[in-house]
Amino acid sequence: MDLVSTPVRLPADWRDFYALTKPRVMTLVIFTGLCGMLAAPGTIHPVLGFAAILCIAVGAGGAAALNQWWEADIDAGMKRTAKRPLPSGRMERESARDFGFALAGGAVVTMGLAIGWLAAAILAISIFYYAWVYTVWLKPRTPQNIVIGGGAGAFPPLIGWVAVTGHITWMPVVLFLIIFFWTPPHFWALALFVQTDYAKVGIPMLPVVAGERVTRRQILLYTLLLVPLSLVPWAFAGTGAVYGVAAAALGLVFLALALRVGLRHSVPNDTMKPEKQLFAYSVLYLFALFAALVLDRFV
Amino acid sequence: MGQDPDQNPDKHDFDLAAFRARQKARNRALGLLLGALVVLFFAITVVKLGVQADKRHGSSLLYDSAQHG
Repeated sequence: MDLVSTPVRLPADWRDFYALTKPRVMTLVIFTGLCGMLAAPGTIHPVLGFAAILCIAVGAGGAAALNQWWEADIDAGMKRTAKRPLPSGRMERESARDFGFALAGGAVVTMGLAIGWLAAAILAISIFYYAWVYTVWLKPRTPQNIVIGGGAGAFPPLIGWVAVTGHITWMPVVLFLIIFFWTPPHFWALALFVQTDYAKVGIPMLPVVAGERVTRRQILLYTLLLVPLSLVPWAFAGTGAVYGVAAAALGLVFLALALRVGLRHSVPNDTMKPEKQLFAYSVLYLFALFAALVLDRFV
Repeated sequence: MGQDPDQNPDKHDFDLAAFRARQKARNRALGLLLGALVVLFFAITVVKLGVQADKRHGSSLLYDSAQHG
C-alpha cells in the first residue's frame, strides 16, 4: 500500500490496548485473587503464584476487552464510558475483539499448563460468565443483571485458592459469596448517580426500570445479607479475631452508609453524596476485608 | 476556501511520521511483552521440573525404605 498517497489512519496506541483491560477493575481482581491464594492452607512456589495471579489478571483483562468490543455502541452513548478507546474511535472493533480473545485464551492455557486444569477451568468459566452471560445475555435484558452477573467478579479468590490447594472447599465458596453479595450494593450505588446515562442507552439497570425507591431498598437488603455472611469465615472456618473484628467493624460502617442511602429520597439537582460515598466505601471495604483475611492467617 | 487536507502533501508527511512512531511504540511494547513471556515460561518450566524431580526423589526414597525395611 502506498501510504504517502492514501489518507493514513493511525493504529491504536499500546496505551489504548492497556486501557481496554480496565486496569482499575483489574486491581481489585488481582488483589482478591492474591488474597485467596495467601489465605489458602498450603504453599505455592512464588514463580507459580506469580504466574497464577498474572493469568487471573490477563484473563480479566481479556474479558474486559471483549465486554468493550461488544458494548462499543452503548459506551459511546454514556458520558462515563464515551472516552474509552472504541467509542472515541482510537481503535477498530476487530482489534479489541482479537486482543480480548488472545488474552483470554492465553491466560486459560497458561494457567492450565503452569498451575492446573481445575484453576484454568474456573478461570475460563469466569471469563465466559463476564463476557457472555453478563455482557451479552443479562445486561441488556434484566434489571437483575448486576446480581447474577456479580458472580463474574467473585471468581478470583476461588481461583487463587484452587491454585494453591488444587481443590474446592467451602471456605473459597464463602469468599465467592461475599463478593457476590457485595456486588449489588456496590453497583447499584453507582447506578443511582449515573442512572440517566444508563436510561439514555436503554440498559435496564434497576434504578431505571424499578425506580430509586426499590433500588435503595435492594441496596439495604443485600448489605444486610453481606454483613453476616462476611462473619462466616470467623464463626465457622476458624479465622481469628483479626479477621472477625475487622469484618464486624467494616460491616457496621457499610451498613450505616447503606442505611443512609436506603432510607433517603433524592431531590431535584441532588448531588447524590451518600450514594457516591457508599460506592467509594464499598471498594475500600472489599480491599480491607480481604487484607484482614490474609493478615489473620499470618498473625 | 481552504486547501483540502487530503491534497496537502505536508499533512501526509506528518501522518506518515505519526503512523511510523505509533507502529514503533507498539512494536517495542509487543517485543517487551514477548520477552517477558519467554522469561516467565522459562521460569515456570524450571520450577515445574524441580517440583517433579523432588516428587520422584521423594517417592524413590519411600520405595527404598519400603524395600530395605
